[in-house]
Amino acid sequence: MDWGRIRFFLGEVQRNFTRNAGMQITAIGTVAVTIVMLGVFLYARSALIAAESGVFSQIEISVYADPAATVAQEAVIRTALAQDPRILSVSFIPKREGLAQMRRLMKGQIDTSLLTENPLPDKFRVRVREAQEVPAVAGSIARLPHVQNVEYGREVVGRLLQLATVMRPVGIAVIVLFLLVAGIIISNTIRLTVFARRREISIMQLVGATNMYIRMPFICEGLLAGVAGTAIAVGALALARASLVPKIAAALPWLPTNTVAVDLSTLVLELFAVGAAVGALASWIAVGRYLRA
Amino acid sequence: MSLVYPNGVRALDNVSLEIGKGEFIFLVGHSGTGKSSLLRLLYREMAPSNGQIIVDGIRVDRLARGRIPALRRRLGVVFQDYKLLSDKTVWENVAFALQVTGAHTRDVQRQVPRALDLVGLAHKSRMFPNELSGGEQQRTAIARALVNNPKLLLCDEPSGNLDPANTTEIMELLRRINLKGTTVVVATHNQAVVDRMRRRVVRLDGGRVITDEERGYYFLGLGQDQILSG
Repeated sequence: MDWGRIRFFLGEVQRNFTRNAGMQITAIGTVAVTIVMLGVFLYARSALIAAESGVFSQIEISVYADPAATVAQEAVIRTALAQDPRILSVSFIPKREGLAQMRRLMKGQIDTSLLTENPLPDKFRVRVREAQEVPAVAGSIARLPHVQNVEYGREVVGRLLQLATVMRPVGIAVIVLFLLVAGIIISNTIRLTVFARRREISIMQLVGATNMYIRMPFICEGLLAGVAGTAIAVGALALARASLVPKIAAALPWLPTNTVAVDLSTLVLELFAVGAAVGALASWIAVGRYLRA
Repeated sequence: MSLVYPNGVRALDNVSLEIGKGEFIFLVGHSGTGKSSLLRLLYREMAPSNGQIIVDGIRVDRLARGRIPALRRRLGVVFQDYKLLSDKTVWENVAFALQVTGAHTRDVQRQVPRALDLVGLAHKSRMFPNELSGGEQQRTAIARALVNNPKLLLCDEPSGNLDPANTTEIMELLRRINLKGTTVVVATHNQAVVDRMRRRVVRLDGGRVITDEERGYYFLGLGQDQILSG
């Protein structure tokens, strides 16, 4: 390793970067905003994909018995369910257990000790062999006597997915627009640096520095801006996730978002790749224009 | 070889010139006669409209863009305005030419002092250009041009901004450099310099070579006159 060369090179990058700090901050800020949006979009998308596959693998129908139903009447429901060949398994959750479950789920969010009586009905959890049959099965169960309500998360998830398909092109368009803006701002920032250093560049060309060599410090400058912006964005996203995701999960408890399923390290890597690419590409273009002129 | 600018001006018109290894040659003529254009063609700042340019065996007129840096490393260029970086010291300015071409630190450490010794500025290596006289700045520029050990040194009005004493000093330096085997091409309209050196003089007018004398004077015919009268 030739430390002298590396030191010289890093010195050049650092001089570039500090030369127009104000513009640099604008560029970094724009990258940060763009990456936050991209991050939210990608996160929501993979969460929804996880939700979708989660729904299909563990799809189940909650069958709520009429609160007034007697034990014998509930046994009729159970027999009917057990006889349906489309049904894989049935488990009975008496209301006492249901309340205990709810207490566990809502711990720290709702003071369940205030409940003087159990408001929950008895419930059957029904798992169906084929996911496509869920609507039909749910329909026939709903017609059974003493069944108060039949629920399956599919419809809500389906509606969400529908929403996602509508939102996707809009989201992509907005993000592309922002990436473009970020690119242009970085490009302009770099062009200012290039302009400030045009004398040095012309001397470099004169003494036989390659265009690649001349580009390098500027590419690094753009890369640095991109990565710095992404770092800020990722920090903001991490904070937002820590505070918002539990709330969302609480608001939509049926949604098997199972946030663990979102591969966070890949997501962060993707964001950094995008940020760095925008920075590098923008400065490549900015210097390229100058070198060709 | 010709050079026509995009605006239609014929900067050089059918110029044919051969410069031998180790020569010292003056390009003279009024401003705008094509002296600088000729130099620019040699270091490929521009390409000729037609014709051939060969520098040290390289077909410069056909040189691909990516090969230009390799050409530039084989020659040094010096300008009237020195083109030094004011925020770098003398040492750094000279080292710059090596550093930006990817030289190893140990080569920089070896070559820079050698070049500074040659131009007699070793003792001022830590000073900045604006702390130096014009002559010293030009010597720094020459050191930078020579630090790569080029075979060819191109000088475009090297004494244009200098007083007579500094001009003499620079010319003496160029002569010494030439004696070490470097080919030196000087474009100038400084009569005193040309007349004192008595070297090959190529005279340009309107983009054409009008005379090419082995041991010439600045003004056409002066040489013959002297021979006649002496």
